[in-house]
Amino acid sequence: MSKRYAPIVRKDGKLYFYRFSAHQRVQHVVLFSSVILLALTGFPLRHAEEPWARPLYDFMGGPNIAPLIHRAAGSVLLALFVYHTIYWMTLFYKNHIVKLREEKRLTVRSFFKALLSLEMVPNKKDLFDIIHLWKYLLYFTNRPPRHDRMSWREKFDYFAPYWGIPILGPAGVALWWRDELSHYVPGIVLNAAYIMHTDEALLAVLFLFFVHWYNVHYSPEKFPAATVWLTGYLNEHDMMHEHYNEYISIMIENGLEHEIKPQSFGGKDYEW
Amino acid sequence: MRNILSVYFIFCLLTVTGILFFPPEVYAVDELNCLQCHKHRGLSRIDEDGNFRLFYINQELYESGPHRHNKCKDCHTDIERIPHDPAKKVNCTQECHIVEPSGQRKFSHKSVAKTLTQSAHSKIDKNGLPKEHQEDYPDCKSCHDQPLYRPFSAFKGDKIPGVSKRAMGRCKSCHTGGDFAEDFYDHVTTRLHKTRFPMETIEVCAKCHEDEEMRKRHELDDVITSYKETFHGKLLTLGSERMPDCLDCHIVAGENSHLIESKTEPTSAVHENNVSTTCRASECHEKAGPMLAGFQTHVTYDRKKYPLQFYMLVFFKALMAFVLYFFLVLIFLELMRRLFPTFAFFKEKKREDYHEYVKLIKDSNRNKH
Repeated sequence: MSKRYAPIVRKDGKLYFYRFSAHQRVQHVVLFSSVILLALTGFPLRHAEEPWARPLYDFMGGPNIAPLIHRAAGSVLLALFVYHTIYWMTLFYKNHIVKLREEKRLTVRSFFKALLSLEMVPNKKDLFDIIHLWKYLLYFTNRPPRHDRMSWREKFDYFAPYWGIPILGPAGVALWWRDELSHYVPGIVLNAAYIMHTDEALLAVLFLFFVHWYNVHYSPEKFPAATVWLTGYLNEHDMMHEHYNEYISIMIENGLEHEIKPQSFGGKDYEW
Repeated sequence: MRNILSVYFIFCLLTVTGILFFPPEVYAVDELNCLQCHKHRGLSRIDEDGNFRLFYINQELYESGPHRHNKCKDCHTDIERIPHDPAKKVNCTQECHIVEPSGQRKFSHKSVAKTLTQSAHSKIDKNGLPKEHQEDYPDCKSCHDQPLYRPFSAFKGDKIPGVSKRAMGRCKSCHTGGDFAEDFYDHVTTRLHKTRFPMETIEVCAKCHEDEEMRKRHELDDVITSYKETFHGKLLTLGSERMPDCLDCHIVAGENSHLIESKTEPTSAVHENNVSTTCRASECHEKAGPMLAGFQTHVTYDRKKYPLQFYMLVFFKALMAFVLYFFLVLIFLELMRRLFPTFAFFKEKKREDYHEYVKLIKDSNRNKH
């Protein structure tokens, strides 16, 4: 990670904004590869009676191989969860705790304040942005919301797996090591694990398919696919559309204040 | 002379036709030539009760079943002449002409019928009195509707369906006469694994246990649906043969497979004291602890019987409905918003200079640092 990424890159007269480090992008690739494998080997089992289940399951290796793939991908996903937790905690320690300690301001209060100021943590502005978005969608205002570095949608997309994995993962591990586990816990725990695993998986997959893929694939701006997960850079149009506040801040920080464009309202520039 | 020659010629022609079109082994057990009529695929009639009855005998299937050496009349004893009157129902417990080699006695299914009367499927109760709804209880043919052999060979660790030619070569070095080696092979290997595909067993049980009327009459849960909800059921549906079907859990290991007992019987494989032994059989959850028995297999999501599962299901359904409806409505409205991008009931102040907003952000950022 020694290479420095410029916050703003100008290419062919267009501006691109740096958003995700290579480290984060690799984590995302590991995340979606394992989730796709898990869904392909898990859902034929969940819907075994459907006509598509048998051919898909056979394609994924059948009753002897598919469970091995499922468990391997699940292990990778759980490892990624642990890794990511260590990753953000390390960043949090480096960027906040060390600083607070140097300034001798580290108290329980300042610790939690710093924790809540992290860019992925939902805050009051997100609530106002949601309300503003509904106002906009129901034609009560003609100005779309102006988001910070992370919009509430991205936070939701982030916390969907971050809440889903701790539910799906341990339940999956319990069903995997059912025999060993039955020495310590009653069998009904497996009944609970079974419901947790299958129903949370359905929610996760439906959310990914409809909501996340709308955000990054189906929506007219992104179709057929957004590229930020691959390059780490977001184009100016989407940056203004999705993170107008962040756009202004970055432009000012990089001495491009004179190039800041007004927020676009439904394709047309709003008359300021 | 000419006449004799032509008769001879026609005789030869018929013989050749006969050899060509009716291979000899087909009629091996059909001494009475029953197949002359019953070989026709359409042979059927509507009986007195208005049911469609098919009397076609598929020779090939018949030849691959355990009854292939029985003559028709061994079971259909009431038929005396051809063409015959409507035949009576076959009594499976009668002695047939085959001699059972271990006891040198004529073979009969009587002992099986006796075991059945001790099981949950008996027509009579413990006091020897007939149970209610007699007609619901199964007889032999309710389950054994298509008795077929399912031989297999195990070669270099792999299970291969069908007769093993390699094994047969070894049998035939001594047992040269007749079909003895083939019969013995089919008889034994069919019983070394499941006689039916596990999914077929589920379907046999489902004939009654999935019938809503019958379940209501006997106050039974829908165990077929709940079984298909389990990992066992799902993997079977996807073609695994290693998962347990109904019989694997409901019959005590080593017991007669016709002795399926109610879970209230202390000797039943699924009585609460025996479940842990049944689950932890050597082929299944061998390493499991006794608490595995607490796993509930036939979960119906009934609020009173399975409160944990019921409320968990409600929670996840509610969560799913909330999340998905919220976002789907949002996405729909967002797409709709694009149709009228500039319209709004209340517009933002038009004269505001966006440079002022930029300044605002600049100041607030400066304050943060």
